Amino acid sequence: MVEDQVLDNVLDPMGQPSGIFGRVSDPENKNTGVVLDPYLQPTQDLTSMEGQLMAPRLDSLDGKVIYLVETGFHGAKDFMNHAADWFARNMPEVKIESRSTQGAIFTDDPALWAEIEEKGDAAILGVGG
Amino acid sequence: MPVCPVVTARFATYVARDTESHAMPLRYTYPPYPVGWVSQDLLRGYIEGDDPITSKPLMQEMVDALTQPLTEDEKNPKVVKRPERPRFLKKDTVKNYKRMFIENGWTDGMPIELPTEEKVAEMLTGTDHPPDEVVGMMSVTTHEERYEYTVEKVAINAVMAGARPEHFPVILALAASQEPSMPSSTTSFGRMVVVNGPIRNQININCAAGAFSPFNFANSVIGRAYTLMSFNFGNAKIGENFTASFGNVTNYNNMFAGENEEESPWEPLHVEKGFKPEESTVSLFRGWDINHLGMGTPDGTAERMAEAMNGMTSMIPGGTFILDPLTAKNLKDKEGFNTKEDFRKWLSEQIKPNKSPFPMRPMMISLVVVGGEWNPMFTTTDFVYTQTVSIDKWIPKEGVRLDDKPIRMPAPVVCKDGGCGIR
Repeated sequence: MVEDQVLDNVLDPMGQPSGIFGRVSDPENKNTGVVLDPYLQPTQDLTSMEGQLMAPRLDSLDGKVIYLVETGFHGAKDFMNHAADWFARNMPEVKIESRSTQGAIFTDDPALWAEIEEKGDAAILGVGG
Repeated sequence: MPVCPVVTARFATYVARDTESHAMPLRYTYPPYPVGWVSQDLLRGYIEGDDPITSKPLMQEMVDALTQPLTEDEKNPKVVKRPERPRFLKKDTVKNYKRMFIENGWTDGMPIELPTEEKVAEMLTGTDHPPDEVVGMMSVTTHEERYEYTVEKVAINAVMAGARPEHFPVILALAASQEPSMPSSTTSFGRMVVVNGPIRNQININCAAGAFSPFNFANSVIGRAYTLMSFNFGNAKIGENFTASFGNVTNYNNMFAGENEEESPWEPLHVEKGFKPEESTVSLFRGWDINHLGMGTPDGTAERMAEAMNGMTSMIPGGTFILDPLTAKNLKDKEGFNTKEDFRKWLSEQIKPNKSPFPMRPMMISLVVVGGEWNPMFTTTDFVYTQTVSIDKWIPKEGVRLDDKPIRMPAPVVCKDGGCGIR
Protein backbone atom coordinates (compact mmCIF):
# COMPACT_ATOMS: atom_id res chain seq x y z
CA MET A 1 0.00 0.00 0.00
CA VAL A 2 1.75 3.19 -1.14
CA GLU A 3 1.44 6.39 0.83
CA ASP A 4 -0.35 8.43 -1.85
CA GLN A 5 -2.80 5.67 -2.80
CA VAL A 6 -6.39 6.85 -2.40
CA LEU A 7 -8.72 4.52 -0.49
CA ASP A 8 -12.48 4.71 -0.22
CA ASN A 9 -13.09 1.59 1.83
CA VAL A 10 -11.55 2.32 5.23
CA LEU A 11 -13.95 1.60 8.07
CA ASP A 12 -14.64 3.79 11.10
CA PRO A 13 -13.19 2.20 14.27
CA MET A 14 -15.42 4.00 16.77
CA GLY A 15 -18.44 2.42 18.38
CA GLN A 16 -21.88 3.91 17.92
CA PRO A 17 -23.28 6.29 20.55
CA SER A 18 -25.88 4.20 22.35
CA GLY A 19 -27.83 6.94 24.07
CA ILE A 20 -27.44 4.92 27.26
CA PHE A 21 -25.52 6.39 30.15
CA GLY A 22 -23.75 4.84 33.06
CA ARG A 23 -23.24 1.28 34.08
CA VAL A 24 -24.38 -0.63 37.10
CA SER A 25 -22.32 -3.32 38.72
CA ASP A 26 -23.92 -6.72 39.06
CA PRO A 27 -25.03 -6.90 42.72
CA GLU A 28 -24.94 -10.70 42.60
CA ASN A 29 -21.31 -10.74 41.57
CA LYS A 30 -18.87 -10.34 44.43
CA ASN A 31 -16.07 -9.31 42.10
CA THR A 32 -15.65 -5.68 41.22
CA GLY A 33 -16.08 -4.33 37.72
CA VAL A 34 -18.59 -6.84 36.40
CA VAL A 35 -21.49 -4.99 34.85
CA LEU A 36 -25.00 -6.17 34.33
CA ASP A 37 -26.08 -6.81 30.78
CA PRO A 38 -26.59 -3.27 29.51
CA TYR A 39 -29.93 -4.16 28.02
CA LEU A 40 -31.26 -5.45 31.33
CA GLN A 41 -30.03 -2.90 33.79
CA PRO A 42 -31.68 0.37 34.70
CA THR A 43 -30.34 3.01 32.39
CA GLN A 44 -30.71 6.61 31.49
CA ASP A 45 -31.70 6.49 27.85
CA LEU A 46 -31.52 9.49 25.53
CA THR A 47 -34.74 8.39 23.84
CA SER A 48 -36.63 9.09 27.05
CA MET A 49 -34.35 11.70 28.56
CA GLU A 50 -35.55 15.22 29.05
CA GLY A 51 -33.57 18.25 30.09
CA GLN A 52 -32.99 18.35 33.82
CA LEU A 53 -34.17 21.64 35.31
CA MET A 54 -32.36 23.13 38.25
CA ALA A 55 -34.40 24.06 41.28
CA PRO A 56 -35.46 27.70 41.59
CA ARG A 57 -32.86 29.74 43.39
CA LEU A 58 -33.27 31.49 46.73
CA ASP A 59 -33.74 35.27 46.90
CA SER A 60 -30.96 35.47 49.47
CA LEU A 61 -29.24 33.28 52.03
CA ASP A 62 -30.23 35.48 54.98
CA GLY A 63 -31.56 33.28 57.77
CA LYS A 64 -31.39 30.19 55.56
CA VAL A 65 -30.01 26.78 56.52
CA ILE A 66 -27.19 25.78 54.18
CA TYR A 67 -25.74 22.29 54.37
CA LEU A 68 -22.03 21.96 53.63
CA VAL A 69 -21.55 18.33 52.65
CA GLU A 70 -18.12 16.78 52.21
CA THR A 71 -18.28 13.69 50.07
CA GLY A 72 -15.14 11.87 51.15
CA PHE A 73 -12.40 12.89 48.77
CA HIS A 74 -9.14 13.66 50.51
CA GLY A 75 -9.05 17.25 51.71
CA ALA A 76 -12.78 17.81 51.26
CA LYS A 77 -13.52 17.94 54.97
CA ASP A 78 -10.82 20.54 55.61
CA PHE A 79 -12.00 22.54 52.59
CA MET A 80 -15.58 22.56 53.86
CA ASN A 81 -14.41 23.56 57.36
CA HIS A 82 -12.71 26.59 55.84
CA ALA A 83 -15.87 27.32 53.84
CA ALA A 84 -17.92 27.17 57.06
CA ASP A 85 -15.45 29.55 58.67
CA TRP A 86 -15.83 31.94 55.72
CA PHE A 87 -19.61 31.98 56.16
CA ALA A 88 -19.23 32.61 59.90
CA ARG A 89 -16.97 35.59 59.23
CA ASN A 90 -18.64 37.03 56.16
CA MET A 91 -22.30 35.97 56.32
CA PRO A 92 -23.09 35.26 59.97
CA GLU A 93 -26.79 35.44 59.21
CA VAL A 94 -26.52 32.13 57.33
CA LYS A 95 -26.98 29.00 59.45
CA ILE A 96 -24.43 26.40 58.40
CA GLU A 97 -24.83 22.66 58.97
CA SER A 98 -21.70 20.64 58.19
CA ARG A 99 -22.03 16.96 57.30
CA SER A 100 -20.00 14.11 55.85
CA THR A 101 -21.52 11.47 53.62
CA GLN A 102 -21.47 8.02 55.16
CA GLY A 103 -19.48 5.15 53.73
CA ALA A 104 -16.87 5.19 51.01
CA ILE A 105 -16.45 7.73 48.22
CA PHE A 106 -19.23 7.39 45.61
CA THR A 107 -21.53 5.73 48.15
CA ASP A 108 -25.07 7.04 48.16
CA ASP A 109 -26.38 8.48 51.42
CA PRO A 110 -30.19 8.64 51.18
CA ALA A 111 -30.61 9.39 54.90
CA LEU A 112 -28.53 12.54 54.57
CA TRP A 113 -30.38 13.68 51.46
CA ALA A 114 -33.68 13.20 53.33
CA GLU A 115 -32.39 15.24 56.26
CA ILE A 116 -31.27 18.06 53.97
CA GLU A 117 -34.58 18.04 52.15
CA GLU A 118 -36.46 18.25 55.44
CA LYS A 119 -34.32 20.74 57.31
CA GLY A 120 -32.26 22.63 54.76
CA ASP A 121 -32.80 25.43 52.28
CA ALA A 122 -29.79 24.77 50.02
CA ALA A 123 -26.65 22.66 49.88
CA ILE A 124 -23.04 22.96 48.82
CA LEU A 125 -21.49 19.56 47.96
CA GLY A 126 -17.89 18.67 47.36
CA VAL A 127 -15.12 18.53 46.76
CA GLY A 128 -15.07 16.38 43.66
CA GLY A 129 -11.74 15.42 42.16
CA MET B 1 -33.57 22.69 46.43
CA PRO B 2 -30.68 24.82 45.15
CA VAL B 3 -27.40 22.95 45.13
CA CYS B 4 -23.88 24.12 44.35
CA PRO B 5 -21.50 21.29 43.48
CA VAL B 6 -17.82 22.03 44.11
CA VAL B 7 -15.29 20.30 41.87
CA THR B 8 -11.60 21.05 41.53
CA ALA B 9 -10.58 23.03 38.46
CA ARG B 10 -8.65 20.02 37.12
CA PHE B 11 -12.00 18.33 36.47
CA ALA B 12 -13.83 21.27 34.88
CA THR B 13 -13.82 19.70 31.41
CA TYR B 14 -14.81 16.34 32.87
CA VAL B 15 -17.97 17.69 34.51
CA ALA B 16 -18.73 19.97 31.55
CA ARG B 17 -18.98 16.83 29.39
CA ASP B 18 -21.49 15.45 31.89
CA THR B 19 -23.53 18.61 31.93
CA GLU B 20 -23.85 18.52 28.16
CA SER B 21 -24.41 14.77 27.89
CA HIS B 22 -27.14 14.64 30.48
CA ALA B 23 -28.77 17.96 29.57
CA MET B 24 -28.32 18.74 33.23
CA PRO B 25 -26.95 22.23 33.79
CA LEU B 26 -25.38 22.61 37.20
CA ARG B 27 -23.65 25.63 38.67
CA TYR B 28 -20.27 24.24 39.49
CA THR B 29 -17.68 26.13 41.47
CA TYR B 30 -14.05 25.23 40.87
CA PRO B 31 -11.38 25.65 43.54
CA PRO B 32 -7.78 25.15 42.42
CA TYR B 33 -6.35 21.65 42.30
CA PRO B 34 -5.48 19.74 44.42
CA VAL B 35 -7.54 19.95 47.56
CA GLY B 36 -6.11 16.83 49.15
CA TRP B 37 -2.65 16.58 50.71
CA VAL B 38 -2.16 20.36 50.88
CA SER B 39 -1.61 22.70 53.84
CA GLN B 40 -4.40 24.39 55.74
CA ASP B 41 -2.96 27.75 54.71
CA LEU B 42 -3.26 26.82 51.06
CA LEU B 43 -6.86 25.66 51.51
CA ARG B 44 -7.68 28.91 53.26
CA GLY B 45 -6.11 30.71 50.32
CA TYR B 46 -8.39 28.81 47.95
CA ILE B 47 -11.41 29.94 49.98
CA GLU B 48 -10.31 33.56 49.99
CA GLY B 49 -9.19 33.49 46.36
CA ASP B 50 -10.70 33.18 42.91
CA ASP B 51 -12.12 30.32 40.89
CA PRO B 52 -9.32 29.76 38.34
CA ILE B 53 -11.83 28.84 35.63
CA THR B 54 -14.07 31.90 35.93
CA SER B 55 -11.68 34.31 37.73
CA LYS B 56 -14.51 35.18 40.12
CA PRO B 57 -14.19 35.13 43.95
CA LEU B 58 -14.77 31.49 44.87
CA MET B 59 -17.09 31.85 47.86
CA GLN B 60 -19.15 34.63 46.31
CA GLU B 61 -19.57 32.33 43.31
CA MET B 62 -21.05 29.68 45.61
CA VAL B 63 -23.45 32.22 47.08
CA ASP B 64 -24.43 33.36 43.59
CA ALA B 65 -24.93 29.76 42.47
CA LEU B 66 -27.61 29.40 45.13
CA THR B 67 -29.24 32.81 44.72
CA GLN B 68 -28.96 34.15 41.16
CA PRO B 69 -32.14 33.51 39.09
CA LEU B 70 -31.94 30.84 36.40
CA THR B 71 -30.92 32.04 32.96
CA GLU B 72 -32.99 31.28 29.85
CA ASP B 73 -30.49 28.57 28.83
CA GLU B 74 -30.73 27.02 32.27
CA LYS B 75 -34.50 27.02 32.03
CA ASN B 76 -34.35 25.21 28.68
CA PRO B 77 -31.69 22.52 28.85
CA LYS B 78 -31.21 20.74 25.54
CA VAL B 79 -30.73 17.03 25.13
CA VAL B 80 -27.79 16.54 22.77
CA LYS B 81 -27.92 13.35 20.75
CA ARG B 82 -24.66 12.30 19.21
CA PRO B 83 -25.16 11.45 15.53
CA GLU B 84 -24.79 7.89 14.31
CA ARG B 85 -21.36 7.37 12.84
CA PRO B 86 -21.08 6.41 9.16
CA ARG B 87 -19.65 2.96 8.40
CA PHE B 88 -16.90 4.27 6.11
CA LEU B 89 -14.50 7.13 6.62
CA LYS B 90 -14.25 9.77 3.91
CA LYS B 91 -12.05 8.88 0.95
CA ASP B 92 -8.41 9.83 1.50
CA THR B 93 -4.82 8.79 0.92
CA VAL B 94 -3.02 6.12 2.93
CA LYS B 95 -0.67 8.77 4.27
CA ASN B 96 -3.54 10.95 5.46
CA TYR B 97 -5.38 8.02 7.01
CA LYS B 98 -2.31 7.11 9.05
CA ARG B 99 -2.17 10.65 10.36
CA MET B 100 -5.94 10.75 10.91
CA PHE B 101 -6.00 7.60 13.06
CA ILE B 102 -3.26 8.95 15.31
CA GLU B 103 -4.56 12.51 15.52
CA ASN B 104 -8.12 11.39 16.28
CA GLY B 105 -6.91 9.32 19.24
CA TRP B 106 -8.03 6.03 17.66
CA THR B 107 -4.69 4.29 18.29
CA ASP B 108 -1.88 3.94 20.81
CA GLY B 109 0.37 5.98 18.52
CA MET B 110 2.20 3.01 17.09
CA PRO B 111 1.71 1.95 13.46
CA ILE B 112 -1.56 0.21 12.63
CA GLU B 113 -2.96 -1.86 9.81
CA LEU B 114 -5.57 0.31 8.07
CA PRO B 115 -8.98 -1.39 8.47
CA THR B 116 -10.03 -1.61 4.84
CA GLU B 117 -13.22 -3.47 3.96
CA GLU B 118 -11.18 -6.40 2.59
CA LYS B 119 -9.03 -6.79 5.67
CA VAL B 120 -12.03 -6.54 7.96
CA ALA B 121 -13.87 -9.13 5.86
CA GLU B 122 -10.90 -11.45 6.29
CA MET B 123 -10.91 -10.90 10.05
CA LEU B 124 -14.61 -11.74 10.13
CA THR B 125 -13.80 -15.25 8.88
CA GLY B 126 -12.47 -15.83 12.40
CA THR B 127 -16.01 -16.24 13.73
CA ASP B 128 -19.42 -17.46 12.53
CA HIS B 129 -21.21 -14.56 14.14
CA PRO B 130 -22.74 -12.02 11.74
CA PRO B 131 -20.97 -8.65 11.38
CA ASP B 132 -23.99 -6.69 12.59
CA GLU B 133 -24.46 -8.66 15.80
CA VAL B 134 -24.18 -6.37 18.81
CA VAL B 135 -21.41 -7.52 21.15
CA GLY B 136 -21.84 -4.97 23.93
CA MET B 137 -21.35 -1.43 25.17
CA MET B 138 -18.45 0.24 26.89
CA SER B 139 -17.30 3.45 28.53
CA VAL B 140 -14.05 4.12 30.34
CA THR B 141 -16.11 6.04 32.90
CA THR B 142 -18.89 4.80 35.13
CA HIS B 143 -21.34 7.48 34.08
CA GLU B 144 -20.85 8.67 30.49
CA GLU B 145 -22.69 7.53 27.40
CA ARG B 146 -21.56 4.07 26.43
CA TYR B 147 -20.68 3.21 22.86
CA GLU B 148 -22.23 0.16 21.30
CA TYR B 149 -20.17 -2.13 19.13
CA THR B 150 -20.86 -4.94 16.72
CA VAL B 151 -18.82 -7.92 15.58
CA GLU B 152 -17.66 -5.80 12.63
CA LYS B 153 -16.49 -2.98 14.90
CA VAL B 154 -14.48 -5.47 16.92
CA ALA B 155 -12.99 -6.81 13.69
CA ILE B 156 -11.95 -3.30 12.65
CA ASN B 157 -10.01 -2.83 15.87
CA ALA B 158 -8.53 -6.32 15.60
CA VAL B 159 -7.21 -5.48 12.13
CA MET B 160 -5.75 -2.21 13.41
CA ALA B 161 -3.91 -4.09 16.16
CA GLY B 162 -2.31 -6.39 13.59
CA ALA B 163 -4.25 -9.49 14.63
CA ARG B 164 -5.14 -12.45 12.40
CA PRO B 165 -8.49 -14.28 12.21
CA GLU B 166 -7.17 -16.98 14.58
CA HIS B 167 -6.98 -14.33 17.32
CA PHE B 168 -10.46 -12.96 16.68
CA PRO B 169 -12.46 -15.21 19.07
CA VAL B 170 -10.29 -14.09 22.01
CA ILE B 171 -10.66 -10.44 21.02
CA LEU B 172 -14.43 -10.88 20.74
CA ALA B 173 -14.51 -12.41 24.23
CA LEU B 174 -12.61 -9.41 25.57
CA ALA B 175 -15.13 -7.11 23.88
CA ALA B 176 -18.00 -9.18 25.32
CA SER B 177 -16.70 -8.49 28.83
CA GLN B 178 -17.88 -4.90 28.30
CA GLU B 179 -15.10 -3.96 30.70
CA PRO B 180 -12.66 -1.37 29.34
CA SER B 181 -9.03 -2.38 29.66
CA MET B 182 -8.21 0.92 31.34
CA PRO B 183 -11.10 2.35 33.37
CA SER B 184 -10.69 6.07 33.94
CA SER B 185 -9.25 6.94 37.33
CA THR B 186 -6.71 9.46 38.56
CA THR B 187 -5.03 6.44 40.14
CA SER B 188 -4.17 4.99 36.70
CA PHE B 189 -5.60 1.49 36.51
CA GLY B 190 -3.63 -1.34 35.00
CA ARG B 191 -4.89 -4.64 33.65
CA MET B 192 -3.89 -8.28 33.45
CA VAL B 193 -5.53 -10.75 31.06
CA VAL B 194 -5.14 -14.52 31.44
CA VAL B 195 -6.32 -17.06 28.88
CA ASN B 196 -7.15 -20.65 29.77
CA GLY B 197 -8.18 -23.69 27.79
CA PRO B 198 -7.29 -25.31 24.47
CA ILE B 199 -7.15 -22.10 22.43
CA ARG B 200 -3.87 -21.21 24.14
CA ASN B 201 -2.10 -23.96 22.25
CA GLN B 202 -4.18 -23.66 19.06
CA ILE B 203 -3.10 -20.06 18.47
CA ASN B 204 0.23 -20.26 20.28
CA ILE B 205 -0.46 -17.97 23.22
CA ASN B 206 2.62 -17.84 25.39
CA CYS B 207 2.10 -19.14 28.91
CA ALA B 208 5.71 -20.02 29.64
CA ALA B 209 9.09 -18.30 29.34
CA GLY B 210 8.75 -14.56 28.88
CA ALA B 211 4.96 -14.75 28.68
CA PHE B 212 4.50 -11.15 29.78
CA SER B 213 7.33 -9.87 27.56
CA PRO B 214 6.98 -8.93 23.87
CA PHE B 215 8.16 -12.21 22.39
CA ASN B 216 4.87 -13.65 21.18
CA PHE B 217 2.63 -12.60 18.32
CA ALA B 218 -0.70 -13.61 19.87
CA ASN B 219 0.07 -12.06 23.26
CA SER B 220 1.12 -8.79 21.63
CA VAL B 221 -1.68 -8.26 19.14
CA ILE B 222 -4.59 -9.52 21.25
CA GLY B 223 -3.45 -7.45 24.22
CA ARG B 224 -3.09 -4.43 21.98
CA ALA B 225 -6.52 -4.92 20.42
CA TYR B 226 -8.05 -4.72 23.91
CA THR B 227 -6.47 -1.29 24.37
CA LEU B 228 -7.63 -0.04 20.95
CA MET B 229 -11.18 -1.16 21.78
CA SER B 230 -10.99 0.85 25.00
CA PHE B 231 -10.11 3.95 22.98
CA ASN B 232 -12.77 3.43 20.35
CA PHE B 233 -15.61 1.77 22.28
CA GLY B 234 -14.79 3.19 25.71
CA ASN B 235 -14.34 6.63 24.12
CA ALA B 236 -11.24 7.38 26.20
CA LYS B 237 -10.13 10.99 25.76
CA ILE B 238 -7.03 11.95 27.70
CA GLY B 239 -7.52 15.05 29.84
CA GLU B 240 -11.28 15.00 29.29
CA ASN B 241 -12.79 11.78 30.57
CA PHE B 242 -9.60 9.75 30.96
CA THR B 243 -7.97 11.07 34.10
CA ALA B 244 -4.98 8.80 34.79
CA SER B 245 -2.34 10.94 36.45
CA PHE B 246 0.73 8.76 35.85
CA GLY B 247 -0.82 6.42 33.34
CA ASN B 248 0.05 2.76 33.51
CA VAL B 249 2.51 0.90 31.28
CA THR B 250 0.29 -2.19 31.29
CA ASN B 251 -2.21 -0.19 29.23
CA TYR B 252 -0.14 -0.95 26.12
CA ASN B 253 -1.00 -4.66 26.01
CA ASN B 254 -2.68 -5.37 29.32
CA MET B 255 -0.25 -8.03 30.58
CA PHE B 256 -1.78 -10.56 28.22
CA ALA B 257 -0.68 -14.18 28.71
CA GLY B 258 -2.00 -17.70 29.09
CA GLU B 259 -1.93 -19.74 32.26
CA ASN B 260 0.67 -22.50 32.12
CA GLU B 261 -1.87 -25.24 32.79
CA GLU B 262 0.40 -27.99 31.54
CA GLU B 263 3.04 -27.28 34.19
CA SER B 264 0.71 -26.18 36.96
CA PRO B 265 0.07 -28.76 39.68
CA TRP B 266 -3.29 -27.19 40.45
CA GLU B 267 -6.57 -26.85 38.63
CA PRO B 268 -6.61 -24.07 36.03
CA LEU B 269 -7.97 -20.64 36.82
CA HIS B 270 -11.05 -21.04 34.62
CA VAL B 271 -12.00 -24.33 36.28
CA GLU B 272 -11.87 -22.53 39.63
CA LYS B 273 -14.36 -20.08 38.15
CA GLY B 274 -16.80 -22.80 37.12
CA PHE B 275 -15.81 -23.49 33.53
CA LYS B 276 -14.92 -26.91 32.12
CA PRO B 277 -11.27 -27.74 31.48
CA GLU B 278 -11.96 -28.13 27.76
CA GLU B 279 -13.53 -24.65 27.52
CA SER B 280 -11.43 -21.68 26.48
CA THR B 281 -11.83 -18.50 28.50
CA VAL B 282 -10.33 -15.13 29.15
CA SER B 283 -10.08 -13.84 32.74
CA LEU B 284 -9.65 -10.20 33.69
CA PHE B 285 -7.76 -8.65 36.58
CA ARG B 286 -7.68 -4.97 37.46
CA GLY B 287 -5.27 -3.13 39.72
CA TRP B 288 -2.17 -0.99 39.46
CA ASP B 289 1.18 -2.51 40.13
CA ILE B 290 3.53 -5.41 40.22
CA ASN B 291 4.81 -4.90 43.74
CA HIS B 292 7.40 -7.47 44.56
CA LEU B 293 9.55 -10.26 43.14
CA GLY B 294 10.11 -13.09 45.56
CA MET B 295 11.82 -16.43 45.49
CA GLY B 296 11.33 -19.62 47.40
CA THR B 297 13.95 -20.82 49.86
CA PRO B 298 14.88 -24.29 51.13
CA ASP B 299 12.72 -23.43 54.14
CA GLY B 300 9.70 -22.89 51.98
CA THR B 301 7.98 -20.48 49.68
CA ALA B 302 4.67 -20.07 51.46
CA GLU B 303 6.13 -18.10 54.36
CA ARG B 304 7.88 -15.76 51.95
CA MET B 305 4.65 -15.17 50.09
CA ALA B 306 2.80 -14.43 53.32
CA GLU B 307 5.51 -11.92 54.24
CA ALA B 308 5.17 -10.25 50.85
CA MET B 309 1.41 -10.12 51.20
CA ASN B 310 1.64 -8.48 54.61
CA GLY B 311 4.05 -5.90 53.22
CA MET B 312 1.76 -4.78 50.43
CA THR B 313 -0.08 -1.51 50.27
CA SER B 314 -3.01 -1.14 47.95
CA MET B 315 -6.22 0.80 47.55
CA ILE B 316 -8.29 -2.33 46.93
CA PRO B 317 -8.27 -5.09 49.52
CA GLY B 318 -6.98 -7.97 47.43
CA GLY B 319 -4.26 -9.08 45.10
CA THR B 320 -2.91 -11.72 42.77
CA PHE B 321 0.22 -13.82 42.98
CA ILE B 322 1.81 -14.83 39.68
CA LEU B 323 3.67 -18.07 40.28
CA ASP B 324 6.32 -19.71 38.16
CA PRO B 325 5.28 -23.37 37.78
CA LEU B 326 8.29 -24.38 39.88
CA THR B 327 6.93 -22.33 42.76
CA ALA B 328 3.48 -23.86 42.44
CA LYS B 329 4.98 -27.36 42.32
CA ASN B 330 7.06 -26.65 45.42
CA LEU B 331 4.01 -25.39 47.26
CA LYS B 332 2.17 -28.60 46.44
CA ASP B 333 4.89 -31.22 46.59
CA LYS B 334 7.07 -29.87 49.40
CA GLU B 335 4.67 -27.82 51.46
CA GLY B 336 1.48 -29.82 51.09
CA PHE B 337 -0.88 -27.32 49.53
CA ASN B 338 -2.80 -29.71 47.33
CA THR B 339 -5.13 -27.12 45.84
CA LYS B 340 -5.12 -23.40 45.18
CA GLU B 341 -7.98 -23.15 47.64
CA ASP B 342 -5.91 -24.81 50.39
CA PHE B 343 -3.15 -22.31 49.83
CA ARG B 344 -5.47 -19.33 49.58
CA LYS B 345 -7.09 -20.29 52.87
CA TRP B 346 -3.71 -20.66 54.56
CA LEU B 347 -2.56 -17.30 53.16
CA SER B 348 -5.69 -15.57 54.38
CA GLU B 349 -5.01 -16.94 57.87
CA GLN B 350 -1.54 -15.36 57.83
CA ILE B 351 -2.84 -11.87 57.23
CA LYS B 352 -1.89 -9.54 60.03
CA PRO B 353 -4.74 -7.13 60.75
CA ASN B 354 -3.92 -3.52 59.93
CA LYS B 355 -0.70 -4.57 58.19
CA SER B 356 -1.95 -5.73 54.83
CA PRO B 357 -4.62 -4.51 52.42
CA PHE B 358 -5.79 -8.10 52.01
CA PRO B 359 -8.97 -8.89 53.89
CA MET B 360 -9.15 -12.23 55.62
CA ARG B 361 -11.17 -13.66 52.75
CA PRO B 362 -9.54 -16.22 50.49
CA MET B 363 -11.65 -15.12 47.51
CA MET B 364 -9.76 -11.84 47.28
CA ILE B 365 -6.46 -13.66 46.75
CA SER B 366 -5.85 -15.00 43.23
CA LEU B 367 -3.15 -17.43 42.15
CA VAL B 368 -2.11 -17.65 38.50
CA VAL B 369 0.60 -19.99 37.22
CA VAL B 370 2.63 -18.42 34.41
CA GLY B 371 6.25 -18.82 33.44
CA GLY B 372 9.04 -20.91 32.02
CA GLU B 373 10.47 -22.73 35.03
CA TRP B 374 13.70 -20.77 35.07
CA ASN B 375 13.56 -20.32 38.83
CA PRO B 376 11.07 -20.86 41.69
CA MET B 377 9.90 -17.26 41.74
CA PHE B 378 6.70 -15.37 42.35
CA THR B 379 5.55 -11.83 41.82
CA THR B 380 3.00 -10.01 43.91
CA THR B 381 0.48 -7.74 42.26
CA ASP B 382 -2.37 -5.64 43.55
CA PHE B 383 -4.60 -6.87 40.75
CA VAL B 384 -8.02 -8.15 41.75
CA TYR B 385 -10.00 -10.61 39.68
CA THR B 386 -13.06 -9.18 37.98
CA GLN B 387 -14.57 -11.73 35.59
CA THR B 388 -14.07 -14.70 33.26
CA VAL B 389 -15.62 -14.72 29.78
CA SER B 390 -16.07 -17.74 27.49
CA ILE B 391 -14.17 -17.67 24.21
CA ASP B 392 -15.87 -20.79 22.80
CA LYS B 393 -19.00 -18.89 21.82
CA TRP B 394 -16.98 -16.94 19.29
CA ILE B 395 -14.99 -19.84 17.76
CA PRO B 396 -16.30 -21.01 14.34
CA LYS B 397 -18.09 -24.38 14.30
CA GLU B 398 -15.30 -25.75 12.15
CA GLY B 399 -12.71 -24.65 14.67
CA VAL B 400 -10.25 -21.81 15.04
CA ARG B 401 -9.57 -20.35 11.60
CA LEU B 402 -5.80 -20.66 11.22
CA ASP B 403 -3.83 -19.16 8.34
CA ASP B 404 -2.35 -21.68 5.91
CA LYS B 405 0.99 -20.81 7.42
CA PRO B 406 0.32 -19.18 10.80
CA ILE B 407 2.70 -16.43 11.81
CA ARG B 408 4.81 -17.47 14.79
CA MET B 409 7.62 -15.57 16.52
CA PRO B 410 10.63 -17.57 17.69
CA ALA B 411 9.41 -19.97 20.37
CA PRO B 412 10.91 -20.09 23.85
CA VAL B 413 13.34 -22.89 24.48
CA VAL B 414 11.47 -25.79 25.99
CA CYS B 415 13.05 -27.85 28.71
CA LYS B 416 13.19 -31.21 26.98
CA ASP B 417 13.70 -33.44 30.00
CA GLY B 418 10.85 -31.83 31.90
CA GLY B 419 13.04 -31.24 34.91
CA CYS B 420 15.25 -28.27 34.08
CA GLY B 421 17.69 -29.60 36.67
CA ILE B 422 16.38 -27.40 39.45
CA ARG B 423 13.12 -29.03 40.45
